[in-house]
Amino acid sequence: MYAALRGELFKAVRRPGIWVLVGLFLALAVLLGYAITYLIYTHPPANSSQGLPPGMTLADFKIALYPENVVKQTMSQWGVLGGVFALIVGVLLQGSEYGWGTIKTLYTQRYGRLTMLFGKLAAMFVVVLAIVIGLFAVDAASSWIVAQLDGKTSSFPSADVIFKAIAATFLIFSFWAVFGFALATAFRQSALAIGLGLAYALVIELLIFGLLAGLGASIVRPIQQWFPIANSGYLSAAFGQVRFRGIQGQPAPYADATHAVVMLLLYVVAFTALSAWLTRTRDVTS
Amino acid sequence: MTDTAIRRPPAASVIGDKVVETQGLSKIYGKSITAVDRLDLSVYRGEVYGFLGPNGAGKTTTIRMLLGLIHPTSGTAKVMGAPPGTPASLIKVGAIVETPAFYPYMSGRDNLRLLAMYCGVSMTRVDATLEQVELTPRAGHKFSTYSLGMKQRLGIAAALLKEPDLLILDEPTNGLDPQGMADVRNLIIELGKGQRTVLISSHLLSEVELMCTRVGVIKKGKIVAEGTIDELRGAATLTVRGTPADLAKTVLVQDVGAENVTELGDGSFSLKVGAQRTAEINQHLVQAGVAVTDLHMDERSLEDIFMELTGTEGGL
Repeated sequence: MYAALRGELFKAVRRPGIWVLVGLFLALAVLLGYAITYLIYTHPPANSSQGLPPGMTLADFKIALYPENVVKQTMSQWGVLGGVFALIVGVLLQGSEYGWGTIKTLYTQRYGRLTMLFGKLAAMFVVVLAIVIGLFAVDAASSWIVAQLDGKTSSFPSADVIFKAIAATFLIFSFWAVFGFALATAFRQSALAIGLGLAYALVIELLIFGLLAGLGASIVRPIQQWFPIANSGYLSAAFGQVRFRGIQGQPAPYADATHAVVMLLLYVVAFTALSAWLTRTRDVTS
Repeated sequence: MTDTAIRRPPAASVIGDKVVETQGLSKIYGKSITAVDRLDLSVYRGEVYGFLGPNGAGKTTTIRMLLGLIHPTSGTAKVMGAPPGTPASLIKVGAIVETPAFYPYMSGRDNLRLLAMYCGVSMTRVDATLEQVELTPRAGHKFSTYSLGMKQRLGIAAALLKEPDLLILDEPTNGLDPQGMADVRNLIIELGKGQRTVLISSHLLSEVELMCTRVGVIKKGKIVAEGTIDELRGAATLTVRGTPADLAKTVLVQDVGAENVTELGDGSFSLKVGAQRTAEINQHLVQAGVAVTDLHMDERSLEDIFMELTGTEGGL
């Protein structure tokens, strides 16, 4: 499998599409997560304090941008949304092989289909890990710059917390990537896989539970706990949230981090198994 | 073989061990579309075996089954002594299946380097094979900028990377201009020398005739004829027309035997003899007082055989 992994990484690092995707994601993390937010908090528009507790201004929210809150900020902003980018990575790495017809080239070299598949999945996880580390690196750098601009002293969370956050984000992104990979394998193309993946990530699960909300939280939340976006949310929420004076925080998540980790791992295993089964049993006719 | 019209084993001089062997190999799509029908195929070491058939006859499906890309519905196959698609088989086989497929954003050289990683062969093979197919000057350019001929040559380079014992080439001259076709043909003839085996599928009869030592003709998923091109053609015949017809017949029967003379009417006769006897027969007829008005050799072309066997004009 090492030869397959090596080959897949060789391809991935030479692929402009991957660099564009990763670059765009990291740029968005800096722009939306820090740069634009900092500008708004520093130069608030008129009447921006309306609706805030008495005596509070937008500038009070800047604390979320300081190094001490980098983990909470990153997890709450990108824990779920960043999964969309991971999904596209998974789709691109697998779906393009069908589009270019290179799947037949892959499977006629030396190793069997499953070896090639697991090599490709391993390479995908390496790319996802690089994205996650990149995300935390740019967010940490941004938070440090914000603190410097404001002349604040703020320390980063402990290495233990950062490591756990990276691991949790890696698990969430891995789920999305392998979900995209399985969709691309099932549909043997990228376009439909990305379309369906995005529809699920941005609409379907939210829509289902939005409609079911009318039944009451006591009915909906026990069902929701088995779904991936909900579990990504539980895991992100487990790292806490930035507290602001006079503002009530989000309610505690329905399930704990252990539940979320187990569920996301099960999804990763299930979609890997589905991809392996499809790869092994189907004919390659393209 | 009950399902074949003409099947002959290879000449004793070329018989080696079987590198491809299928028994009752079938592929049925759905309930009614039979792409390959109980195919028994044997390709021996050192042969350049032509797999000939019209479009849709089952050539590519068979080749995909030999490479493990398509699972057979029934029957068995062994390629280089191992089941198709297994590492033991793949490492000894180089292949082009239809249009060669590579990564468009990488150069030709990087594409080959990638395959060298997958195959576990030395990187020095990359430049050697690029040189072999005369692609070195464009090796650093992206695959997406290659012409069809260059893509085909890169495909052949990729197939040669492993220094395979068996080359499986599916329509390797597809889309090439006449010069490109000639280049690829010469390369394949060169590659087929020695102990390397080449299995080449094509619907281009002239191509097969020039390259192959033995040919199998496939129609509707079945081999309908197999042998060397000369064997498939059968013996050449000599057509003679002379008057008086009775005298001509007597002379001809004396010369070649009654079993080799067929009366065609109109004073014409067809003789099963080699071309080297033409002058001698002509001399005997003239000496006997027969006025010879026509004397020519008839040799069936591969095109005639192909159309007769497949009932099509595919590829012509």
